[in-house]
Amino acid sequence: MKLPSIDLSSLPDLDTVTGLFGSLLDTSGTVYSDDTIVMLMVFLYELVPPSSLL
Amino acid sequence: MNIHPDLRALRSDDAPQRHAQQALHRAMAAWRARPEFAALVDDLARLATGEPLDRCPALAALFADGGSGGQSLVSGFISHSAQALGDAPLAHVPMRHFTDGCTSTLLLARSGQVTLTLIALDGNELRNRPAPQNISFGPNETWELVLAGRAVADLIACEPSGPRSARLDRRALALAPGTVLQRDGQREARLVRSIEGTLVSLRLQRRRANAGPTREYNLESGALVHQAAGNPRDSRLELMLALLGRMQRKDAAPLMAALAQGDASAALRWQALRECLALDTQTGFTALSAIAGATGDALAGPAGALRAQLVEAHPQLQDLAQLQDLVQLQELATCPA
Repeated sequence: MKLPSIDLSSLPDLDTVTGLFGSLLDTSGTVYSDDTIVMLMVFLYELVPPSSLL
Repeated sequence: MNIHPDLRALRSDDAPQRHAQQALHRAMAAWRARPEFAALVDDLARLATGEPLDRCPALAALFADGGSGGQSLVSGFISHSAQALGDAPLAHVPMRHFTDGCTSTLLLARSGQVTLTLIALDGNELRNRPAPQNISFGPNETWELVLAGRAVADLIACEPSGPRSARLDRRALALAPGTVLQRDGQREARLVRSIEGTLVSLRLQRRRANAGPTREYNLESGALVHQAAGNPRDSRLELMLALLGRMQRKDAAPLMAALAQGDASAALRWQALRECLALDTQTGFTALSAIAGATGDALAGPAGALRAQLVEAHPQLQDLAQLQDLVQLQELATCPA
Protein backbone atom coordinates (compact mmCIF):
# COMPACT_ATOMS: atom_id res chain seq x y z
CA MET A 1 0.00 0.00 0.00
CA LYS A 2 1.48 3.34 -1.06
CA LEU A 3 0.91 5.85 1.72
CA PRO A 4 1.31 9.63 1.51
CA SER A 5 3.77 11.44 3.71
CA ILE A 6 2.09 13.90 6.05
CA ASP A 7 3.38 17.40 6.61
CA LEU A 8 3.79 18.15 10.34
CA SER A 9 2.55 21.72 9.92
CA SER A 10 -0.75 20.43 8.52
CA LEU A 11 -1.48 18.60 11.79
CA PRO A 12 -3.48 20.77 14.21
CA ASP A 13 -2.66 21.41 17.86
CA LEU A 14 -5.15 20.77 20.64
CA ASP A 15 -7.57 23.63 21.46
CA THR A 16 -5.47 24.70 24.42
CA VAL A 17 -1.79 24.59 23.58
CA THR A 18 0.53 23.64 26.45
CA GLY A 19 3.82 25.53 26.71
CA LEU A 20 7.10 24.27 28.10
CA PHE A 21 7.47 23.71 31.83
CA GLY A 22 8.11 27.00 33.60
CA SER A 23 6.82 29.17 30.75
CA LEU A 24 4.63 32.09 31.84
CA LEU A 25 3.08 35.14 30.24
CA ASP A 26 3.38 37.34 33.31
CA THR A 27 6.51 36.71 35.35
CA SER A 28 6.02 39.41 37.99
CA GLY A 29 5.60 37.96 41.44
CA THR A 30 5.66 34.32 40.44
CA VAL A 31 9.18 33.09 41.15
CA TYR A 32 8.69 33.70 44.83
CA SER A 33 5.63 31.50 45.09
CA ASP A 34 6.58 28.63 42.85
CA ASP A 35 9.33 26.21 42.07
CA THR A 36 9.15 26.44 38.29
CA ILE A 37 12.70 27.17 37.25
CA VAL A 38 13.60 26.22 33.73
CA MET A 39 16.90 24.65 32.82
CA LEU A 40 17.55 23.85 29.20
CA MET A 41 20.64 21.85 28.40
CA VAL A 42 21.70 20.19 25.21
CA PHE A 43 23.54 16.90 25.41
CA LEU A 44 25.01 15.15 22.43
CA TYR A 45 25.57 11.45 22.81
CA GLU A 46 27.47 9.36 20.33
CA LEU A 47 25.49 6.22 19.64
CA VAL A 48 28.44 4.44 18.10
CA PRO A 49 31.66 5.31 19.93
CA PRO A 50 34.76 5.71 17.80
CA SER A 51 36.84 2.53 17.62
CA SER A 52 39.58 4.09 19.75
CA LEU A 53 37.16 4.01 22.71
CA LEU A 54 36.09 0.41 22.24
CA MET B 1 39.66 50.32 35.83
CA ASN B 2 40.13 49.79 39.53
CA ILE B 3 40.74 46.16 40.47
CA HIS B 4 41.06 45.10 44.08
CA PRO B 5 44.59 43.81 44.80
CA ASP B 6 43.17 40.48 46.07
CA LEU B 7 41.34 39.97 42.76
CA ARG B 8 44.36 41.12 40.76
CA ALA B 9 46.53 38.55 42.56
CA LEU B 10 44.08 35.79 41.57
CA ARG B 11 44.75 36.51 37.88
CA SER B 12 48.23 35.10 38.08
CA ASP B 13 47.59 32.49 40.76
CA ASP B 14 44.12 31.00 41.29
CA ALA B 15 45.25 28.62 44.04
CA PRO B 16 43.92 30.86 46.89
CA GLN B 17 40.48 30.91 45.23
CA ARG B 18 40.45 27.14 44.85
CA HIS B 19 41.44 26.78 48.50
CA ALA B 20 38.74 29.26 49.56
CA GLN B 21 36.13 27.32 47.58
CA GLN B 22 37.27 24.06 49.13
CA ALA B 23 36.93 25.66 52.58
CA LEU B 24 33.31 26.58 51.75
CA HIS B 25 32.60 23.05 50.52
CA ARG B 26 34.03 21.67 53.78
CA ALA B 27 32.02 24.11 55.91
CA MET B 28 28.77 23.18 54.13
CA ALA B 29 29.59 19.47 54.35
CA ALA B 30 30.11 19.93 58.13
CA TRP B 31 26.71 21.65 58.40
CA ARG B 32 25.06 18.84 56.43
CA ALA B 33 26.78 16.19 58.55
CA ARG B 34 24.90 17.29 61.66
CA PRO B 35 22.43 14.62 62.83
CA GLU B 36 19.39 16.94 62.63
CA PHE B 37 20.14 17.57 58.96
CA ALA B 38 20.47 13.83 58.26
CA ALA B 39 16.96 13.37 59.73
CA LEU B 40 15.68 16.12 57.43
CA VAL B 41 17.22 14.47 54.37
CA ASP B 42 15.55 11.17 55.28
CA ASP B 43 12.22 12.95 55.62
CA LEU B 44 12.62 14.74 52.30
CA ALA B 45 13.07 11.37 50.62
CA ARG B 46 10.00 10.06 52.46
CA LEU B 47 7.92 13.09 51.43
CA ALA B 48 9.10 12.58 47.83
CA THR B 49 7.60 9.08 47.84
CA GLY B 50 4.19 10.65 48.53
CA GLU B 51 3.95 10.31 52.34
CA PRO B 52 1.99 13.05 54.12
CA LEU B 53 4.02 15.68 55.99
CA ASP B 54 2.87 14.45 59.42
CA ARG B 55 4.62 11.14 58.70
CA CYS B 56 7.87 13.10 58.27
CA PRO B 57 8.50 14.30 61.85
CA ALA B 58 11.78 16.16 61.29
CA LEU B 59 10.29 18.15 58.40
CA ALA B 60 6.95 18.71 60.13
CA ALA B 61 8.83 20.11 63.15
CA LEU B 62 10.21 22.92 60.96
CA PHE B 63 6.69 24.31 60.50
CA ALA B 64 5.08 23.38 63.86
CA ASP B 65 4.65 25.64 66.93
CA GLY B 66 5.17 28.93 65.13
CA GLY B 67 8.10 27.53 63.21
CA SER B 68 10.70 27.47 66.00
CA GLY B 69 12.30 24.39 64.35
CA GLY B 70 12.57 26.22 61.02
CA GLN B 71 14.02 29.30 62.72
CA SER B 72 16.69 27.24 64.43
CA LEU B 73 17.60 25.31 61.24
CA VAL B 74 18.03 28.51 59.24
CA SER B 75 19.91 30.46 61.93
CA GLY B 76 22.28 27.47 62.27
CA PHE B 77 22.83 27.49 58.52
CA ILE B 78 23.35 31.24 58.36
CA SER B 79 25.85 31.40 61.22
CA HIS B 80 27.74 28.46 59.72
CA SER B 81 27.90 29.89 56.20
CA ALA B 82 28.51 33.47 57.38
CA GLN B 83 31.49 32.33 59.41
CA ALA B 84 32.89 30.39 56.45
CA LEU B 85 32.34 33.39 54.17
CA GLY B 86 34.01 35.66 56.74
CA ASP B 87 37.13 33.51 56.49
CA ALA B 88 36.95 33.27 52.69
CA PRO B 89 34.99 36.30 51.41
CA LEU B 90 35.60 35.60 47.70
CA ALA B 91 34.22 32.07 47.83
CA HIS B 92 30.65 31.05 46.89
CA VAL B 93 28.21 29.14 49.02
CA PRO B 94 28.11 25.91 46.99
CA MET B 95 24.34 25.59 46.73
CA ARG B 96 21.97 26.19 43.85
CA HIS B 97 20.83 29.79 43.98
CA PHE B 98 19.04 32.45 42.00
CA THR B 99 18.55 36.19 42.26
CA ASP B 100 16.99 38.86 40.07
CA GLY B 101 17.49 41.68 42.56
CA CYS B 102 13.98 41.23 43.95
CA THR B 103 13.68 37.53 44.64
CA SER B 104 16.64 35.50 45.85
CA THR B 105 16.51 31.77 46.47
CA LEU B 106 18.95 29.28 47.92
CA LEU B 107 18.24 25.56 47.67
CA LEU B 108 19.06 24.02 51.06
CA ALA B 109 18.13 20.43 50.25
CA ARG B 110 16.31 18.40 47.66
CA SER B 111 15.02 14.91 47.07
CA GLY B 112 13.30 14.05 43.78
CA GLN B 113 10.29 16.33 43.40
CA VAL B 114 10.71 17.87 46.86
CA THR B 115 12.74 21.01 47.56
CA LEU B 116 13.57 22.93 50.74
CA THR B 117 14.45 26.50 49.83
CA LEU B 118 15.36 29.70 51.62
CA ILE B 119 13.79 32.74 49.96
CA ALA B 120 14.31 36.47 50.40
CA LEU B 121 12.05 39.04 48.76
CA ASP B 122 13.21 42.66 48.71
CA GLY B 123 10.41 45.11 49.54
CA ASN B 124 11.97 48.12 47.79
CA GLU B 125 12.53 46.19 44.59
CA LEU B 126 9.02 44.76 44.75
CA ARG B 127 7.62 48.31 44.94
CA ASN B 128 9.37 49.16 41.64
CA ARG B 129 7.95 46.16 39.83
CA PRO B 130 4.75 46.37 37.80
CA ALA B 131 1.71 44.91 39.51
CA PRO B 132 1.08 41.34 38.32
CA GLN B 133 -1.69 40.89 35.77
CA ASN B 134 -1.94 37.12 35.98
CA ILE B 135 -1.61 34.37 38.53
CA SER B 136 -0.65 30.75 37.97
CA PHE B 137 -1.76 27.53 39.61
CA GLY B 138 0.43 24.44 39.28
CA PRO B 139 0.44 20.84 40.53
CA ASN B 140 2.40 21.27 43.74
CA GLU B 141 2.00 21.45 47.49
CA THR B 142 3.75 24.15 49.47
CA TRP B 143 4.49 24.70 53.14
CA GLU B 144 5.95 28.07 53.95
CA LEU B 145 7.27 29.61 57.15
CA VAL B 146 7.95 33.35 57.42
CA LEU B 147 11.25 33.88 59.22
CA ALA B 148 11.73 37.65 59.05
CA GLY B 149 9.98 40.73 57.65
CA ARG B 150 6.34 41.70 57.40
CA ALA B 151 4.20 41.72 54.30
CA VAL B 152 0.66 42.03 53.02
CA ALA B 153 -0.32 39.27 50.63
CA ASP B 154 -3.40 38.01 48.83
CA LEU B 155 -4.39 34.40 49.08
CA ILE B 156 -6.17 33.59 45.83
CA ALA B 157 -8.48 30.58 45.61
CA CYS B 158 -9.09 29.13 42.15
CA GLU B 159 -12.26 27.32 41.16
CA PRO B 160 -12.31 26.37 37.46
CA SER B 161 -15.60 27.55 35.93
CA GLY B 162 -15.03 26.16 32.42
CA PRO B 163 -12.24 24.82 30.22
CA ARG B 164 -10.81 28.32 29.74
CA SER B 165 -11.88 30.26 32.82
CA ALA B 166 -11.87 30.18 36.61
CA ARG B 167 -13.46 31.99 39.54
CA LEU B 168 -10.71 33.64 41.56
CA ASP B 169 -11.49 34.65 45.15
CA ARG B 170 -9.05 36.94 46.93
CA ARG B 171 -8.48 37.16 50.65
CA ALA B 172 -5.97 39.56 52.22
CA LEU B 173 -3.41 38.03 54.51
CA ALA B 174 -0.80 39.54 56.85
CA LEU B 175 2.57 37.78 56.89
CA ALA B 176 4.81 38.09 59.96
CA PRO B 177 7.60 36.01 61.50
CA GLY B 178 6.10 32.71 62.57
CA THR B 179 3.29 32.72 59.96
CA VAL B 180 2.93 29.26 58.43
CA LEU B 181 1.05 28.78 55.17
CA GLN B 182 0.15 25.50 53.58
CA ARG B 183 -1.45 25.36 50.18
CA ASP B 184 -2.33 23.15 47.27
CA GLY B 185 -0.87 24.98 44.26
CA GLN B 186 -3.69 23.95 41.93
CA ARG B 187 -6.33 25.50 44.18
CA GLU B 188 -4.55 28.36 45.92
CA ALA B 189 -1.86 30.87 45.08
CA ARG B 190 -0.22 33.53 47.19
CA LEU B 191 0.61 36.93 45.81
CA VAL B 192 2.75 39.29 47.90
CA ARG B 193 1.47 42.88 47.63
CA SER B 194 3.85 44.90 49.79
CA ILE B 195 6.73 44.24 52.15
CA GLU B 196 8.36 46.16 54.98
CA GLY B 197 12.10 45.57 54.55
CA THR B 198 12.90 42.08 53.30
CA LEU B 199 10.63 39.09 53.65
CA VAL B 200 12.60 35.92 54.38
CA SER B 201 10.91 32.55 54.40
CA LEU B 202 11.62 28.85 54.37
CA ARG B 203 9.66 26.96 51.73
CA LEU B 204 9.07 23.26 51.36
CA GLN B 205 7.55 22.31 48.02
CA ARG B 206 6.49 19.01 46.53
CA ARG B 207 5.71 18.84 42.84
CA ARG B 208 3.18 16.26 41.73
CA ALA B 209 4.04 14.36 38.57
CA ASN B 210 1.29 13.65 36.02
CA ALA B 211 -1.16 15.90 37.81
CA GLY B 212 -2.13 18.26 35.01
CA PRO B 213 -0.61 21.43 33.63
CA THR B 214 0.17 24.74 35.29
CA ARG B 215 -2.61 27.21 34.40
CA GLU B 216 -2.20 30.96 34.29
CA TYR B 217 -5.32 33.10 34.67
CA ASN B 218 -5.90 36.82 34.32
CA LEU B 219 -6.42 38.21 37.82
CA GLU B 220 -9.28 40.52 36.82
CA SER B 221 -11.29 38.41 34.40
CA GLY B 222 -10.34 34.88 35.46
CA ALA B 223 -9.72 33.99 31.79
CA LEU B 224 -7.13 31.31 31.05
CA VAL B 225 -4.25 33.12 29.35
CA HIS B 226 -1.57 30.44 29.28
CA GLN B 227 -1.00 26.80 30.08
CA ALA B 228 2.36 25.11 30.64
CA ALA B 229 3.56 21.57 31.30
CA GLY B 230 3.23 20.76 35.02
CA ASN B 231 6.55 18.93 35.21
CA PRO B 232 9.90 19.22 33.42
CA ARG B 233 9.86 15.62 32.22
CA ASP B 234 6.98 16.29 29.81
CA SER B 235 8.84 19.23 28.28
CA ARG B 236 12.08 17.27 28.06
CA LEU B 237 10.28 14.46 26.19
CA GLU B 238 8.56 16.98 23.93
CA LEU B 239 11.92 18.51 22.98
CA MET B 240 13.30 15.03 22.27
CA LEU B 241 10.28 14.25 20.06
CA ALA B 242 10.83 17.45 18.07
CA LEU B 243 14.53 16.71 17.67
CA LEU B 244 13.96 13.12 16.51
CA GLY B 245 11.30 14.39 14.11
CA ARG B 246 13.62 16.99 12.56
CA MET B 247 16.35 14.33 12.32
CA GLN B 248 13.89 12.15 10.37
CA ARG B 249 14.56 9.27 12.74
CA LYS B 250 11.91 6.89 11.43
CA ASP B 251 13.17 4.25 13.87
CA ALA B 252 11.71 6.40 16.68
CA ALA B 253 8.16 6.17 15.30
CA PRO B 254 7.16 3.04 17.30
CA LEU B 255 8.34 4.75 20.53
CA MET B 256 6.35 7.84 19.64
CA ALA B 257 3.27 5.70 18.94
CA ALA B 258 3.68 4.02 22.35
CA LEU B 259 4.04 7.40 24.08
CA ALA B 260 0.95 8.71 22.27
CA GLN B 261 -1.05 5.73 23.55
CA GLY B 262 0.49 5.75 27.04
CA ASP B 263 -0.57 7.51 30.24
CA ALA B 264 1.40 10.75 29.82
CA SER B 265 -0.32 14.15 29.77
CA ALA B 266 -2.73 14.86 26.90
CA ALA B 267 -0.45 17.61 25.56
CA LEU B 268 2.61 15.35 25.39
CA ARG B 269 0.63 12.45 23.88
CA TRP B 270 -0.75 14.75 21.19
CA GLN B 271 2.72 16.03 20.25
CA ALA B 272 3.99 12.43 20.11
CA LEU B 273 1.12 11.58 17.80
CA ARG B 274 1.81 14.54 15.48
CA GLU B 275 5.52 13.75 15.23
CA CYS B 276 4.78 10.07 14.68
CA LEU B 277 2.31 10.81 11.85
CA ALA B 278 4.83 13.07 10.13
CA LEU B 279 7.66 10.53 10.48
CA ASP B 280 5.91 7.31 9.58
CA THR B 281 2.41 7.51 8.14
CA GLN B 282 1.42 3.90 8.77
CA THR B 283 2.62 3.71 12.40
CA GLY B 284 1.17 7.15 13.15
CA PHE B 285 -2.18 6.47 11.50
CA THR B 286 -2.53 3.16 13.33
CA ALA B 287 -1.90 4.92 16.68
CA LEU B 288 -4.31 7.71 15.69
CA SER B 289 -7.03 5.20 14.87
CA ALA B 290 -6.49 3.34 18.15
CA ILE B 291 -6.79 6.58 20.15
CA ALA B 292 -9.83 7.74 18.16
CA GLY B 293 -11.57 4.46 18.97
CA ALA B 294 -10.62 4.29 22.66
CA THR B 295 -13.64 4.87 24.91
CA GLY B 296 -13.01 7.35 27.70
CA ASP B 297 -9.76 8.65 26.23
CA ALA B 298 -9.59 12.45 26.52
CA LEU B 299 -7.93 12.55 23.11
CA ALA B 300 -10.53 10.34 21.37
CA GLY B 301 -12.49 13.39 20.10
CA PRO B 302 -9.58 15.36 18.59
CA ALA B 303 -8.03 12.12 17.27
CA GLY B 304 -11.29 11.17 15.54
CA ALA B 305 -11.54 14.63 13.95
CA LEU B 306 -7.92 14.50 12.77
CA ARG B 307 -8.42 11.00 11.36
CA ALA B 308 -11.42 12.16 9.33
CA GLN B 309 -9.49 15.22 8.15
CA LEU B 310 -6.51 13.10 7.03
CA VAL B 311 -8.67 10.57 5.19
CA GLU B 312 -10.34 13.43 3.33
CA ALA B 313 -7.05 15.12 2.46
CA HIS B 314 -5.27 11.88 1.49
CA PRO B 315 -7.70 9.44 -0.17
CA GLN B 316 -4.94 6.79 -0.12
CA LEU B 317 -5.47 6.57 3.64
CA GLN B 318 -9.03 5.41 3.01
CA ASP B 319 -7.86 1.83 2.35
CA LEU B 320 -5.74 1.80 5.51
CA ALA B 321 -8.66 3.20 7.53
CA GLN B 322 -11.03 0.53 6.20
CA LEU B 323 -8.51 -2.20 6.93
CA GLN B 324 -8.12 -0.92 10.49
CA ASP B 325 -11.89 -0.69 10.99
CA LEU B 326 -12.16 -4.29 9.79
CA VAL B 327 -9.48 -5.45 12.22
CA GLN B 328 -11.25 -3.61 15.05
CA LEU B 329 -14.57 -5.24 14.15
CA GLN B 330 -12.95 -8.67 14.12
CA GLU B 331 -11.40 -7.98 17.53
CA LEU B 332 -14.80 -6.97 18.88
CA ALA B 333 -16.40 -10.11 17.41
CA THR B 334 -13.83 -12.42 19.00
CA CYS B 335 -13.82 -10.60 22.36
CA PRO B 336 -15.24 -13.03 24.97
CA ALA B 337 -17.07 -10.22 26.80
